[in-house]
Amino acid sequence: MLALRLTRGSHPLVLLRRLLVAAASAGVGFLLLSSLTHALAHPGDSAASLQRLLWCALPLAATVHLAVVVARTDPATRPRTGLSAVGLGPGRLAVLAAVSTAVAGTLGSALALLFFLHLRGDLTGLPFDGAAAEPLASGRPLPTGAALILLALVPFSTTLAAALALRPRGAPAPAEAEAPEATAPPRPPGGLPWGCALTTAGLAVGTYAAHADRGVSLPLPGQFDGHPAGSLLGWALTAVGLALAGPALTHFCGRLLQARRPGAARLLAGRILMEESRRIGRPLGVVCAVASAVITVWTLHDTGPHPFGPLTGLGATLVIACTAATLITSAVEARQSRSAATENLRRLGASAGALRLAALLRVLALLLVLTPVTWAVATLAAVPLAR
Amino acid sequence: MVAPPDDDALRALSLHHSHTGSPALAGVSLGVGEGEILAVCGPRGSGKTTLLRCLSGQTVPDEGEVWFNGSPVHTLTALRRERLRRERFGWIGPEPSLVPELTVWENAALPLLLRGTPHRQARAAALEWLEHLDISAHANRRPHALTQPQRQRTATARALIAVPSVVFADEPTATLHRADRALVLRTLLAAARSHRITVVLASHDPEVTALADRTVTLLDGRRTDTPEAADAEGQAECSLSV
Repeated sequence: MLALRLTRGSHPLVLLRRLLVAAASAGVGFLLLSSLTHALAHPGDSAASLQRLLWCALPLAATVHLAVVVARTDPATRPRTGLSAVGLGPGRLAVLAAVSTAVAGTLGSALALLFFLHLRGDLTGLPFDGAAAEPLASGRPLPTGAALILLALVPFSTTLAAALALRPRGAPAPAEAEAPEATAPPRPPGGLPWGCALTTAGLAVGTYAAHADRGVSLPLPGQFDGHPAGSLLGWALTAVGLALAGPALTHFCGRLLQARRPGAARLLAGRILMEESRRIGRPLGVVCAVASAVITVWTLHDTGPHPFGPLTGLGATLVIACTAATLITSAVEARQSRSAATENLRRLGASAGALRLAALLRVLALLLVLTPVTWAVATLAAVPLAR
Repeated sequence: MVAPPDDDALRALSLHHSHTGSPALAGVSLGVGEGEILAVCGPRGSGKTTLLRCLSGQTVPDEGEVWFNGSPVHTLTALRRERLRRERFGWIGPEPSLVPELTVWENAALPLLLRGTPHRQARAAALEWLEHLDISAHANRRPHALTQPQRQRTATARALIAVPSVVFADEPTATLHRADRALVLRTLLAAARSHRITVVLASHDPEVTALADRTVTLLDGRRTDTPEAADAEGQAECSLSV
């Protein structure tokens, strides 16, 4: 009940973020149900149905990532002196965050079910009744157990991930009243060696698989035929590698910015970027991976006629929107955590223009370093596939 | 001793201010002469911080006027007040409120860097002030590696480095032990005297306020020291400003 009360009083932007989680959850739920209907409609072709189900893992992963970041950013789950004093410490707050996430996920799944039944023609009385009756196998009864399990998948995985990410660790939680300058900064992120290794391995696997026998293939749903399972594995490895390398790359950008006798704007921009590299870097790496995948698909799309099906489009939109929303939410989180320091700077007379310039410099530095990386990965991934 | 109004570096005329309905200042008038060290004394909640914020242009009072060197502060736009704070004022708060990402010397040099002073020059000035405050050994460390008194000394260096016209010190020694308190106050007052910096020092501690040239006492947002003098000052200034 406390979760609901806190939700009711929260800021519209916070509610919007929760709604985003619900929408993403609805999208993934719909994709999962569609793969179920594919299996119903084609009982003989279980490999294709399994492949559709597996492709749902990408939007699911993006949704879980978004849900975790939203739960972490939620002001209601931040340790607060008053609440801690009445016994609502970090442990209970993690439970609270998990409950809010579960509510958002369940809401999304319920919406997905309603929409799905509506398009299928099982619910009547609204426009577009049964508009997609045939592809959604309206002739066959829906197995209730399977549908419920698929619908519970998103709320369950997001809740579990949020609870795990926010659980109180062994180290004591930072005291709420402690000044920001008194807390030790996080160590500079590692992960660049692993990130590089995985990215290169992913590219190598992709190249190798493109030359391998095309008989054993795991094609995309829709008409995106002929890509071996290896190239999918290669992409996954590349994405994980970029996500691992993201924090270190961000830290490097910050280091570059504040090098060589910086003025106030460059100094602040660089140091803040170095400090926030852990928080911002991971989502940034994921965005880079998604962007490079989009570029690769775009290049291949140009070379041959491969129109996407609506479900592939929905999945791609979900992945892109979730990763972008995750990055933006992380940036908002970083900004919130720096609000006290910003206030101090304003008291010193730092103009809003100077602070905006520092923010702009950060964005420019990130773009300058990460755009070539993304482009290079995308081009390298596309080379073997284009032939 | 009351400085003649024309010599006042900073003057406040019947300031009224309330924080969302709860009154903090109820008609405070005062003048601070150039190079003078004025202590604002009073218990917690007596309006000291609000008075300092109004005088330094961080807050615009609901009613009343603030004049700095013969020009009004209360009518300036937010941008001009920001510039005034950057170029003419220094601020020491009860908490050091350093920027956690910057090293100690960078924190101290921040006002100079914000004014566009070249890097090398700002560093030299910062190291000199840190030397005065006995923390030059920690110049390249981050604030988290320092003790609270060392951080407060860094904040003091930051307030003095640009040699501002006025330094506002809001309970600068509230979180310090006696030895550290003495060092911070000694440096602040010595710098003020040698560079003719005006200091407005808010404190509830009589030991601290005893070091000032003059003391103004606040209680519940009103001056309680010399009501007649305050009234006379207010009247004289009203007639002057007409």
